[in-house]
This record gives sequence, C-alpha cells and structure tokens, in this order.
Amino acid sequence: MADVAVVEKKEAIKFGKKERKLLTDPLDDNNPITVQVLGICSALAVTTGLKNATVMAVAVVFVCVFANTITSALRKSIPKQVRMIVQLVIIATLVTVVELTLKAYAFESYKQLSVFIGLIITNCIVMGRLEAFAMANRPYESSLDGLGNGIGYGIILLIVAFFREFFGKGEIFGAKIIGATPDYMINTAESAWLGWYQYNNLMVLFPSAMFVIAVLIWAHRAWNPKLVDVS
Amino acid sequence: MGDLVNIFIKSAFIENLALAYFLGMCSYLAVSKTVKTAFGLGLAVIFVLGITMPINWVINTWLLGENGVFQTDLTFLRFILFIAVIASMVQLVEMVVEKYSPSLYNSLGIFLPLITVNCAILGGSLFMVSKEYNFSEAVAFGLGGGFGWFLAIIAIAAIREKIKYSAVPPAMRGLGMAFLLTGMMGMAFMGLMGIDPASFK
Amino acid sequence: MHSTASVMRFVLIMTSIVAMLLAFLQNGLKSKHDTNEAIYSKKATLGAIANHLSIDYSQISDEQVEEIFGSKIKQIVVNSDGEKVPEEKVEEKGYKGGLAESVDLAKEHKKPLDEKLLPLYVFTKDDGKEYYILNVRGKGLWDAIWGCVALEDDFNTIAGVSYDHKAETPGLGAEIKDNKAWVKQFIGKKIYDGDVFRSVYVRKGGAKDPVYEVDGISGATITADGVSKMLAKGIAEYEPYLKKLRG
Repeated sequence: MADVAVVEKKEAIKFGKKERKLLTDPLDDNNPITVQVLGICSALAVTTGLKNATVMAVAVVFVCVFANTITSALRKSIPKQVRMIVQLVIIATLVTVVELTLKAYAFESYKQLSVFIGLIITNCIVMGRLEAFAMANRPYESSLDGLGNGIGYGIILLIVAFFREFFGKGEIFGAKIIGATPDYMINTAESAWLGWYQYNNLMVLFPSAMFVIAVLIWAHRAWNPKLVDVS
Repeated sequence: MGDLVNIFIKSAFIENLALAYFLGMCSYLAVSKTVKTAFGLGLAVIFVLGITMPINWVINTWLLGENGVFQTDLTFLRFILFIAVIASMVQLVEMVVEKYSPSLYNSLGIFLPLITVNCAILGGSLFMVSKEYNFSEAVAFGLGGGFGWFLAIIAIAAIREKIKYSAVPPAMRGLGMAFLLTGMMGMAFMGLMGIDPASFK
Repeated sequence: MHSTASVMRFVLIMTSIVAMLLAFLQNGLKSKHDTNEAIYSKKATLGAIANHLSIDYSQISDEQVEEIFGSKIKQIVVNSDGEKVPEEKVEEKGYKGGLAESVDLAKEHKKPLDEKLLPLYVFTKDDGKEYYILNVRGKGLWDAIWGCVALEDDFNTIAGVSYDHKAETPGLGAEIKDNKAWVKQFIGKKIYDGDVFRSVYVRKGGAKDPVYEVDGISGATITADGVSKMLAKGIAEYEPYLKKLRG
C-alpha cells in the first residue's frame, strides 16, 4: 500500500516537457482570447483601467485553477446527466468566494467590477477548459492547464487595459502620466514637443476594446502565421 | 403597459446587450459566420432569456430577499441559483423541444448547450437585479434584451457573409475582422445612448 | 450512465457542501462587509468637505473616517416640512440606531415627498465654522446617481460636493465621480438669488453665469443634465429646514 502511494506521488509531481507545454501553450498558440475566442465579454468590460484588469485577471486565474482541479478530482463520480450543472455549480461557488472576499478586503474594486465578477461564471474559458481538459485528465495536469489558460487570458487583459488606460486617460495604474494639466507627470500644455498630444476619450469606451483586440489578433497572427484562418 | 413597451424598446435598441454592454460575445463571434446559424442561436437566446428572467426574478425576490420565505438575506447564493436555473432551463427546453418539435430541435438544438455559458443570459438576470425591476418589467426586459441580441447577431452575420469575398489581409481574416466590425457597430449604437422612449409622446 | 438515485445523492451531497461552505464564509465576513459599506458612504460624505479636513482626503484611512465621524460630525434627520425627526421616529421606520447614516437613501428616494426622511450632517471645522452636508439623489444615463453637497453656514454658498453613480460610462458619465477638476468647479457657487432658490446648473458648452453655473462634461450631456436636475430637486427638499436655519 505504502509503495503504491509513493509511486503515485512521484508521478504526480513530475514537471517535464508535456507539463511545460500545458502551461505555455495557452500563452501563444492556443491563447484563450486571440485564438480560442473565449471569455471576450469580461475582457471588454473591465479593461478600462489596469487596476480593475489586474483584479479580474487574478480572480480568473484563481477560479480557473481551482475549478479545473476540483472538477478533475471529481470527474469519475460526476453523473453524466447533470454534468453541465455540476460544473457550473463548482464555478459559481468559486466565483461567490471571490466576490465575498473582494467585498471584504478590496471594497473599491468590488464596487467597480460589480456585475462583472458574477460574469466570470459564464466566462467561457473556465467552462471550456472543464469540458475540454479537466473531465479527461488528472488533477495535477488540470491545475497546470487552468493556470496556463488563466495567465494567457490575464496577459491579454493587461495588454488591452494598458492601451486603453494610457491612451484613454493618460494614466497607468491610476497614476497620472501624460496630460494637459499640472498634476500629470508630463504636462503637455507646457511642453514644447508634446503640445499637440491629447488623450483620446474614445479609448475608454467599450468599442475601442474591440479595436485593440482586433489589432492584437492582427499582430499575433502576423507574427505566428500558422494561426491564420483557425477561426 | 406603456412602461413595459418602453422597457422592451430600451433593452432591445438603446441598452442592447450585445452592442452596448458587449455581453454574450463568445457565441456572438463564434456562431456568426452565416446568417442561418446566427438566426437559430438568436431565436434560442430570446427563448431562454424570456423564460429564465421571470424565474430568476421569483427566486431573487421570494427566496433570497430579506422579505422572502426564509426572512434572511441569502443573496450570497444568487450566482449559484441563477446559473443552476439557467442550466436546467436550457436542458429542459432542449428535452421538450426534442420530444415535441423535432424540426425546431434540428434548427435550434445544437445551440442550446452553448446558451448556458452565454453571458447575455446570466448578465441579463444580474442587470435585472441591479435595476430593481418588478415582475412584468423583468419579463419585458428579458424579451427585449433577447430580441436586441437576436438583431445584433443577425446583423453581424450578414456583414460577415459579404465580407468573405473582400480582400482582407490574411492575419485579419475571420476573427480579426469580426472584432473590428463589432467595434464599429458598437460605436454606431452609442449614437442611441441615452434616448428615453418614455419622452416620445 | 448513473442511476437516478445516485445522481440525486450526488446532487444532494454537493449542494449541501456548497451551501454550507458559502454560508460559513458569508457569516464570517458579514461584519466586515457591513463596515466596508458604512465607511464607503461616510467617505463619500467627507468627500464633499475634503478641502476643510485637517488631513489629506486622498490618503484618509478607515480609522480616520470613523474618528472624524465620531468627533466632528453631528447627524440629524429632517423632513420636508423643515422639522427635525427624532431618533426614535427614524428607528420606527426600520432604520437601526436612528442616525442619519442608517437611512437607506435609495429607499427614501422612492417615497412621496411628505414621507421622506432627509439625512443631514453638520461638520464642525477646527476653527469652529460649521458646514452642512446634504444628500441628493437622481438619475444619470444608465442608472442612479447620487451625491453629497456641503453648504457653508450662510446656507447659500457651496463648500464642496462629491458624486457617485451606479453604472455611468467610464470616461464619460463616470467623470462626475472621477474627474476631480470638474467636481471642484462647484466650490463657491451659490444656490440662492436673494431669497429665490436657484440651485446650480451644469451648462453644456461652458458656464455662462459665474455664480450659478458650471461647465458640462463633453460626451456626457445626459449625466450632466441628471446632475442639474438632482441638485435642483434634492436641495429643494431640504429648503424648508434651511430656511429655518437662515432665520
């Protein structure tokens, strides 16, 4: 009995090529947003500022990892007939945990993200990974897959948020960087070179998130041509 | 009655779930390659939103609210109950449609599971809570929201069918263009922002 | 395929575990949630008199908020006839403690004027000067907007305002909260013309009157109109009481 346990354990902590691929694949070749087209809604709504985007990214990584691990651990006992509902209940529970925690320890972010915390439930990345991966693999691999996908999603979120916050408000993480009043670090009103610059309010609005992601997809596919025409 | 019509129009056009709030984007982008499939998914969304909204309203008010059956604030169970209602309704609808109308099932069936994870459905229910609608308003909001989403996905599918024959840079083909188009449609819809149907009298 | 009985068993066990876990968490964090809510609205109240606090408002801590509320602020509830409502009466209406901070503004906003409870905060500055902070509430583009308006002790000059909103568009309507420069415009504006109540108007395209108007926000006309309406209606509700104070 003891021997078996040791063998199991040895196999479980292995981190080889296959495991590394689980982590890195979703960052590029199989990116949740730009390739799999999953989880777009929240990527649009919360990327008006880096602060919110960071909170959202961390929340999604958390939910992704734990939902994948739990589902994978239960995969043999989940009845096929109610599979979807069980998966959704697991996700919804984790999301509620996130909501209650944010409400207690990060109240400002909680207020600003409001409805969109709840929408992590229907963030197709989480659900998609449960169906596609966790239901067929062991908890350890599943947690890596969840981590990889969560991070792949988070990175895009942060990139989009950076462009929208910087070009839309002249701020990064709420710190005023470039604008036309004295409280900005670079005051364009007094600068000889940057007098023409003005941040563009359109970037903060919803549609511009679409444009930023479209350009990201363009850049990503131009750089990695094997992704052209996948979807 | 007039109020309900206003809410319907408002949620269909002015506060369009797809183009003003950008909800349900995953299936919106994935299933909008042809008008035919978009039509099926759109119908299914109207259907499911129309059913789940009143049920979730009842659950939220009578079960979870402080004045509900249990007399305690159970709103922390809201997410779980809402999504469970949506998932089970979708499954129920799927079974009923399959049994009684095979032809409808053939056109709608494959989209139904997709709808469970369509954020427009859950988002609709959560917006209903935060807007504090009453029962009939919630129904009007659900149907209007579904109808607006239906129109939006048909519009983009039609554009995408046409644009297939245009010379688009390879890296922008398909998904990239779909994003760009949705952004532009969203900007167009911003023009409707803030119109109050109640003032047209 | 699992049998129906085993499916039921699985679902039952799962639901009870989940419900228990969440109930446990909710109970554990409930008091923290409540204090967070309370501090959030107290902070907004202090935001209206940010310039008159002895400490830097942008870096105020939760304890400091509580301390200022405890030592320098007097809470009153008035009605639209200009009478003070005693704490017991407020408590009868379902607000625990009967203080102004316990009044649910969203609920009161929907009531007819003669039943409305109007919370009022009186802040005493270190130099003894008093500031009166009123609560106003209205409708923006998407959903509710609300705010606090601080009046100087002539009951005419605005000492400061702070606004908040439920769902205005970031970068446009949400500027009423985020754009500090815009909010600062209200300082020093007057609400009375002689004895006639005028309120402050947000003028699209730039203020035309230096005393009773402020600039609008580009791209957010409807939210700005909402602010104008909210101020006119909200401050007017307090007018009977203010009139008494003016003597």
